[in-house]
Amino acid sequence: MAIPVKFLSAFQEQTQGKTTFFVEEGQLSQIFGELQKEIPGLKEKLWDKEGKIHPAYNVILIRGDTQQLCHDLNSKVKEGDELIIIPIISGG
Amino acid sequence: MHGYQGKFLRINLSTRKIDVEPIDESFATRYVGGVGFGVRWLYDILPKGVDPLSPQAPLIFASGPLASINFLGSTGISVTFKSPLSGTVGDSDMRGRMGGSLKGCGYDALLIEGKAERPVYLRISEGLCEILDGSHLWGKDTYQTQAIILADPKNTNMLVTSIGVAGEKLVKYANIICELQFFAGRTGAGAVMGSKNLKAIVVGGKLKTLVADREKVKKWMKDINSKIQTDGTCDALSRYGTWNIIGAANLNGILPTKNFQATTFSNINKIDGDALLSTVYIGKKACPGCPIGCRRVIEGEVPYTLSPEFGGFQYETVASMGSLLLNGDPYAIGKANELCNIYGVDTISAGVVIAYVMECLDKGVLTENDLGFQLKWGEPEGIFKMIELIGLRKGLGDLLAEGVKKASQEIGKGSEKWAIHIKGIEVPMHDPRGKKGMGLAYATSFKGADHESSMHDETFQRENALSELGFTVPMDRRQFEGKSTLVKVLQEYWGVMPDALTICKFPMVPPRPLKPGRLVGLLNAVTGWHFTIKDFLITGERIFNLARMFNVREGMTRKDDKLPRRFEEVLKEGGSTGESYPKEELDKLLDEYYRLRGWTPDGIPTSNTLRRLELS
Repeated sequence: MAIPVKFLSAFQEQTQGKTTFFVEEGQLSQIFGELQKEIPGLKEKLWDKEGKIHPAYNVILIRGDTQQLCHDLNSKVKEGDELIIIPIISGG
Repeated sequence: MHGYQGKFLRINLSTRKIDVEPIDESFATRYVGGVGFGVRWLYDILPKGVDPLSPQAPLIFASGPLASINFLGSTGISVTFKSPLSGTVGDSDMRGRMGGSLKGCGYDALLIEGKAERPVYLRISEGLCEILDGSHLWGKDTYQTQAIILADPKNTNMLVTSIGVAGEKLVKYANIICELQFFAGRTGAGAVMGSKNLKAIVVGGKLKTLVADREKVKKWMKDINSKIQTDGTCDALSRYGTWNIIGAANLNGILPTKNFQATTFSNINKIDGDALLSTVYIGKKACPGCPIGCRRVIEGEVPYTLSPEFGGFQYETVASMGSLLLNGDPYAIGKANELCNIYGVDTISAGVVIAYVMECLDKGVLTENDLGFQLKWGEPEGIFKMIELIGLRKGLGDLLAEGVKKASQEIGKGSEKWAIHIKGIEVPMHDPRGKKGMGLAYATSFKGADHESSMHDETFQRENALSELGFTVPMDRRQFEGKSTLVKVLQEYWGVMPDALTICKFPMVPPRPLKPGRLVGLLNAVTGWHFTIKDFLITGERIFNLARMFNVREGMTRKDDKLPRRFEEVLKEGGSTGESYPKEELDKLLDEYYRLRGWTPDGIPTSNTLRRLELS
């Protein structure tokens, strides 16, 4: 079953306004690899130079009623999970 | 002296006496400018217990040394006074060009005392300050005021900073508005200006301020600007403005909803960043010298006309006039914002007051007869009428204009429980149950609930968030541990110092590139000083402690460093499900925080601390 990946006020230029993509379960690195095929230019924006998640964005893993922050690309994403990519909150 | 004109205007509106007084280098290095100058003068001039709206209470506009360069909104100004809402230090930082323009007239600051016999406005140009009759402006809204002043050929190319009718009527959370788009919004600056019969300040000057090392200044500015434009850290802020965090705040369960009864909003898809871009948004604007451009411009015709002249609302207003009131109509949020700007009322405080009234109606403490019209969650027309009542002090609005604390004390019947304020200042749009550091920052800020008094917990969930200040280990936003140290340092680094420099705070938020070393390097290049990061932080600590001492002198202690009881309730849904802010946890944080600050267990700076900071 596909995993929904939602972009919340992030990377709309790269996704051309599309907010939700569906990918197969797996490690976050694999999922990002799949996304990169669909969204050219995403990699340069979402990964930093060291291959880590760009510090200006958070990748949130929703599993049931809980949500957790993905700290690296090794996080495993399973069926029923949801991923949401958001800019870091910096005050209003 | 570099970065300063070395003098300020001291204006007494009662006697119409205008003095030019010096600012020397020793004073500048100890208090820097902006809120630093403001707090020092406020402490020295205003004795204990004086009514903030009395002629004796000063209103201080102070620029910082970076206003001498055009960089990341540094031409703004800080406004300091005694808050009529809280009785604490009041301060609000206003972006725009007033600080730069005032320096262009040859002055670093304005210190205004007394009360004019009749309405007046000030016109300040190069080396000249005039107190002019403002009777024809009294009663005019902010738009009309600016238009009338600028229609006078003598005022061509000058900046207009004014109050609206709410300021004239001493609405306790009235704001000051510059060029219709920049605000000293919080803690009641507009009421203090109104109490002096001062309707507007018109400023225009182009004198240069010398900097110590022009080449180094250029190099730092180029370096920082280049990183802002290329490292991706400001992309979302540039595209969405502060709307970029609306969806994230909802996801994290920190978006105040239905008067802080919840933290996720069912209609979020109608008011998040993408929704606003596709509805009310027509363009963006940048502050002087800023490549980000986070300011929004909005427009609307149906169902509500929205004028682009007033700029666009920011995140705080999306929440305070949106989710907090269950209003999911972006055009209605825009209209509410515009009305607040026309009357000159702070949108955060107004939203919290209206939400309080809505909950009073729900609980039968007030009825629609008390208001004279229908007010329901999510229904815009009632919200608009409430803003008018408050702005003009009509009907129940006369009491509500006193702020939610006083209104709830008068209305009583247990309604104090859902009057969401800290030290009388209505709480901004970040629920601390989902971000525990922000709760401590709210409780200990010298100006009551202030979301810009410390960086937000979300920033520190990643490793090496701010390694130059020692923050390398990730901290969950929901954890209490470690937050005393975090908040203490950030109150100095981010809460105080940008307001002393009068520079925008957003580029300083990690991982954005205005890092401590670069900011201090730029400051040294402008002033010729030799500040280290440690000196920079100690200066922030000095200003913070002096502001605390002002509040202590007014009788405030630990008993006042508290959060509304609502935050002790457990959140039942959303990204912060299960979270609360129990009093015992706040007490533990306060014990540690006071110890770190060198304060007594009752929250009073010790004599050793004051000596260390050269404040004794």
